[in-house]
Amino acid sequence: MEQFEQLLTCAICLDRYRNPKLLPCQHSFCMEPCMDGLVDYVRRQVKCPECRAEHRIPYQGVQAFPTNVTLQRFLELHIEITGELPDPTSGQTMERCGVCSEKSYCSLCVHCDKKCCPECKDAHMDILRREITRINSQVRRGLHRLQDALALVEKNTLGLQTNCASVSEEVDEIYRRLSKALKDRTEYLRNEVDRYLGTELRGLIQLKENLELEIANIQSNCDLAEAHINENVSWDDAELLDTKELFLRTVEFIRNFEYEAGDYNRRVRFVMAHDPNQLVLHVAGYGELNIKPETGTGGLLGSTGGLAPPGGPPALMRSKSDHRLASQYRQQEEERLARNRYVPDYEYDAPEYDAPRNKSKYRSRFMRHRDGEDSDGDSRSTVRFTSTAQEQAALRERVLDTEDAARGPLSGIFRLTDSPRVMKKLQECERAGKRKKEEPAQPQQPQPPKPQVQVRKTPAATARQVSEDDEISRIKKQNKNAPSSSETVEERPAPTPVPAHATPVRELPEREPEEPPRRTSVASRRTSTEAHAPATRSASSESSTGSESSTGSGIRSTGAPFTAEEMKQKYLSRAPPTNTTTTLSSAPGVTSGARDSSSSATSPRPFQSRFLGGGNRAAPPPPPPVAAREEPAKKKEEEEDDDEETSSSSEETESETEEESETDAHPAATPSTPTSATQDRQKTESAMARTDIGPLLARSAEARRGSKEDSPSTRYSTPRGSPAQSVTSPTTMTSSSTAPSGYTSRFLNKSRSQAAVTTPRERERERERELEPEVEPLSPRSRYAALKERRQRLARSRSSHNFGGDDLDLDEDPPSPTTQSPNAYLAAKYGAGSELARSRSTHALKSREPSPDRDRATEKDGAALSSWARYLKNKYGNRSAKDKEPPSSSSIPSSSASAASRRLSLGLPLRHTGQTSFESSDDDQKNPSGSPTSPTAAPVIPAAAGSSTRSQYLLKRRQLFKFGMRGSEAGCFTWPRGLAVGPDNSIVVADSSNHRVQVFDGNGNFTKEFGSYGSGEGEFDCLAGVAVNRIGQFIIADRYNHRIQVLDPSGRFLRAFGSQGTTDGRFNYPWGITTDALGFIYVCDKENHRVQVFQSDGTFVGKFGCCGSGRGQLEHPHYIAVSNTNRVIVSDGNNHRVQIFDVNGRVLTSFGSEGSDEGQFKFPRGVAVDDQGYIIVADSGNNRIQIFTPEGAFLKAFGGWGSGDGEFKGLEGVAVTSAGNIVVCDRENHRVQVF
Amino acid sequence: MTALPRRIIKETQRLMQEPVPGISAVPDDTNARYFHVIVTGPEDSPFEGGLFKLELFLPEDYPMSAPKVRFITKIYHPNIDRLGRICLDILKDKWSPALQIRTVLLSIQALLSAPNPDDPLANDVAELWKVNESEAIRNAKEWTRRFAMDN
Repeated sequence: MEQFEQLLTCAICLDRYRNPKLLPCQHSFCMEPCMDGLVDYVRRQVKCPECRAEHRIPYQGVQAFPTNVTLQRFLELHIEITGELPDPTSGQTMERCGVCSEKSYCSLCVHCDKKCCPECKDAHMDILRREITRINSQVRRGLHRLQDALALVEKNTLGLQTNCASVSEEVDEIYRRLSKALKDRTEYLRNEVDRYLGTELRGLIQLKENLELEIANIQSNCDLAEAHINENVSWDDAELLDTKELFLRTVEFIRNFEYEAGDYNRRVRFVMAHDPNQLVLHVAGYGELNIKPETGTGGLLGSTGGLAPPGGPPALMRSKSDHRLASQYRQQEEERLARNRYVPDYEYDAPEYDAPRNKSKYRSRFMRHRDGEDSDGDSRSTVRFTSTAQEQAALRERVLDTEDAARGPLSGIFRLTDSPRVMKKLQECERAGKRKKEEPAQPQQPQPPKPQVQVRKTPAATARQVSEDDEISRIKKQNKNAPSSSETVEERPAPTPVPAHATPVRELPEREPEEPPRRTSVASRRTSTEAHAPATRSASSESSTGSESSTGSGIRSTGAPFTAEEMKQKYLSRAPPTNTTTTLSSAPGVTSGARDSSSSATSPRPFQSRFLGGGNRAAPPPPPPVAAREEPAKKKEEEEDDDEETSSSSEETESETEEESETDAHPAATPSTPTSATQDRQKTESAMARTDIGPLLARSAEARRGSKEDSPSTRYSTPRGSPAQSVTSPTTMTSSSTAPSGYTSRFLNKSRSQAAVTTPRERERERERELEPEVEPLSPRSRYAALKERRQRLARSRSSHNFGGDDLDLDEDPPSPTTQSPNAYLAAKYGAGSELARSRSTHALKSREPSPDRDRATEKDGAALSSWARYLKNKYGNRSAKDKEPPSSSSIPSSSASAASRRLSLGLPLRHTGQTSFESSDDDQKNPSGSPTSPTAAPVIPAAAGSSTRSQYLLKRRQLFKFGMRGSEAGCFTWPRGLAVGPDNSIVVADSSNHRVQVFDGNGNFTKEFGSYGSGEGEFDCLAGVAVNRIGQFIIADRYNHRIQVLDPSGRFLRAFGSQGTTDGRFNYPWGITTDALGFIYVCDKENHRVQVFQSDGTFVGKFGCCGSGRGQLEHPHYIAVSNTNRVIVSDGNNHRVQIFDVNGRVLTSFGSEGSDEGQFKFPRGVAVDDQGYIIVADSGNNRIQIFTPEGAFLKAFGGWGSGDGEFKGLEGVAVTSAGNIVVCDRENHRVQVF
Repeated sequence: MTALPRRIIKETQRLMQEPVPGISAVPDDTNARYFHVIVTGPEDSPFEGGLFKLELFLPEDYPMSAPKVRFITKIYHPNIDRLGRICLDILKDKWSPALQIRTVLLSIQALLSAPNPDDPLANDVAELWKVNESEAIRNAKEWTRRFAMDN
């Protein structure tokens, strides 16, 4: 049985055969990895491990060898007999792991989207687990932001409620005032009409009676005269004469009697000072609601903007999120603008409160607003979460995703516990026992807190929706009922609005989400009452006059404010010129100020202070107005009004004093006062808007007063003047001595008290706002600037939020101000911070793009620099960019800056050839060879020299000399590999299998050797690469010791660094090695498929490349060379190409492909670069040397397989001497050839 | 460090379970690719009675490349130099993946029995072996006694 087992065991892997392939020699081996490993790719042969027979590999590769079917049957049989489980990997084929590139049974790793071997996959899962833990802690740390946001939202809700409550109160009050004024005036007018009617009627009746009497008298006289003035009656002469006189008088009377039509024909005419239609319109539009955008956004932005996790997510994510952020910002900006634009739409007038149109609009706005904000928060959070495993999972099929789980409404995050898969996993592991529990629990744990918040929010949102709908229907119902209710409610006049407004205030805290619709409902309710209020009142007060007059007055009496305004206009001519200007300026202000901006609505106070302060100074001192106002107030029967006015009067006095102090002593005032004239102006406007009501009130006062007077004519004429003058402006009030002080003061008080009612609230709000220093810029500025500034600040705070958290790169490494315009600098620093900066930054970006070296370099550096690249940049200045372009001296500051940095960095001796040409353009002092200083002349030199070297290379073919043979003696080699040319043109050879370094002079004469086998200091194990730096130190890639050793010029050990591994500074078979002018050490970390860069003391600086065949990827890089222009040339062995990187590890170019044509490679190994940048490549598979121009264009090839002169067997390193001789390591011939 | 290939694990297990007579190979505690090897000098050879310590290292691409073996105990042998490096074809170009640690060690043991002075590594020894074999064998015995029998 044991022998049977042995027969089923592959001799190579000592395992059961997997896919046994039969070699022509009848030996079988597993196809992978055993047979694969046997392949000699160069010779396309496979050597049987059992019998050493060499077989040519079929064209299709080893899989074309026949499968040993018999063996397979036996395997199956064996499995059947023993019942052993089939190898889980039996059906699979081996592939190269996408990460470690080892052949193995790979499966797709979701983490990196590559096929990975189990080990790598484990590692990746570990990474994921750790990342989740890390992000979880970030989430936990960041969760408070959401909670803060929640608190803020709650606060905002509360604020909104109070705000709306106060506004509705305000509106109520205005309504009360207006209706009172209206009612008063109406009553007064009616009384006047009645009184007039009475007197006139009395006169007329008297006249009628007199006339009737006269007529009767005359009639009787006539009758008597006809009957008795004849002969029948004897009249004496005296009697007749008297009679005659009487009749004569009668005739005269009748002749003279004229009915004085004018006396009793006077008609009372109701004259509207203004077009009633307009007046109605005015009253209808007596107020507007301004929805100011900034408070809500500010709060929400601040909170949601802070969702950036404190830790640094990967750069890619960051850049993406930044991009996202920018677009978001733009969108936001537009939105804000749009919102501002829409403001008029949202201002709805009082009578339209209940109009469904407005309601829906309002709602839509709200929704949009909400959407905007929420989606912001949402998208931001998702952006952030892209860095988490969550999003990565999203890219693949989401295993944890479920349809039926309740998601967070904002982020779409669901509870992990809702995912059936998670639950299953958890149950499984519970069943499995404690040991395994930890693992799945870990990824499970992190998320729950996140969804919790969202979930908590869900009911709120839905509730809001529902209630909103409810509200809509309710309002609809109400609207329908409105007409009918106006009839039913008729009996309760003024008080109705009060409870109506009181209720929402009380209700709101309980049902916060309903707030906006509720507001409209309140409004609608109010309008309904308003609509019938006049009717009620008139009906109650003048039930006798009938419905006709009452309804009529209901409309007409609303014209009161109109008359005021009309009068204003009428009296403009009469008023002093100053007045006209003020009124004129204020008139547009009334409309514009109210609608204009948020600030007019939010912060009228400072202006008021000025306005009132001015008024106070000019107008009668405060006490009389109060008294005057209270006097008429007492006449009023409505208690509420009275109460309110008294209360407001006390408030007013308070505010007055405060306001005075504000105006008089600006610095001593509240922090808001310095906010400058512009704001004041705004506030002026808003206050002017308020004064709109002023005339109304004045009218009502006037009416009250006028009722005492007797004659209608005086009544009609005189009062007109006084209110008008009082109306025009505070300044006129002082100047016009005619104006009754009572009126002015009353007016003043009214308007002021009105302001006072609002001010305390406003002030509070203001103060709150001022407590947040970000919102309100304090320095005096133009309004536009201030607004803009604020916006910028907001944006900046947002952006800095996002940048500050994780963009350490940007913070640490802002593009230097010397290289870019300050704006671009700012823009880069603050990202999308300010529109200005942004637009300019994009501009700058654009302009930077095509601009030559410096900016591009810095920009790219800023974008993609890893720390080491930055380090390199600092070290090198910006010379990296110069490879591409001839040096431009156009940007003087930058070049001088780089020159300075260069001066700093040029501590080490420099190769002057070739480099001086670049030097000259930048730095004359550093130009030892005195090469031309003009920048244009500089590139000419290499070009000229290049042509000569070019011809020199074109002639290359014949071997100059060779040295070495197989052996371990001095001057002999055993598989020499790396080569280097020292500064003194010595040739240094890594005698690999002799574990030593041999040094020859420029003619190939042995000078010295050092090193021996071992892993100690100065000992080597199959060293591969060797390099000599500018001070003659030997740097050796000690291949099997996985380290780099540095020896002094005499071969004494200086230091070693590195060990086996894949992390930074560790190696897996380091191969080629080189150093540059500044002493940086570049190592081909062959089995790690990367290049690592170190400082000369072995400090890890950076790395680039990873396994793969893409741009910038490497597969078994063997040798490396650095040009004096800091181009890093790497032979990418298994990709059959040469790649050229810059010092930052970015691919500049690559050339070559697999093949044996010119410019093609087969496993290129050694690379070298000369002073002019010409590249020499040891094309080992083709056993030839190829020469390329600095651009990578093929120039020359020579050599072929063999052991003769100019023939090679297995090329390794190449080097080029300063004289242009090419030194080639001919490994299998154990020799070095020089061409 | 990548995981140990199954082959190495198997080989190690087998070496432990069925040790080759006269040979012991124990993996290092810290590095499973590094083996401490003791080979007894074969009978009827100048190295008889000696215990020769060797170190054996399985490189990364083992079994596709040969293990690295080196004598630690000094030995007088034409194919083994003073550093302990062994000139044995199967350790160089004749390596085959079908070979194993045990076969390599057996080959080394066999090399002790049959020195090959025609393919020398230690030239002086090989010279003497060729010119004066008896003296060379005496030297070898002397060395064995001196270096391979004390401990």
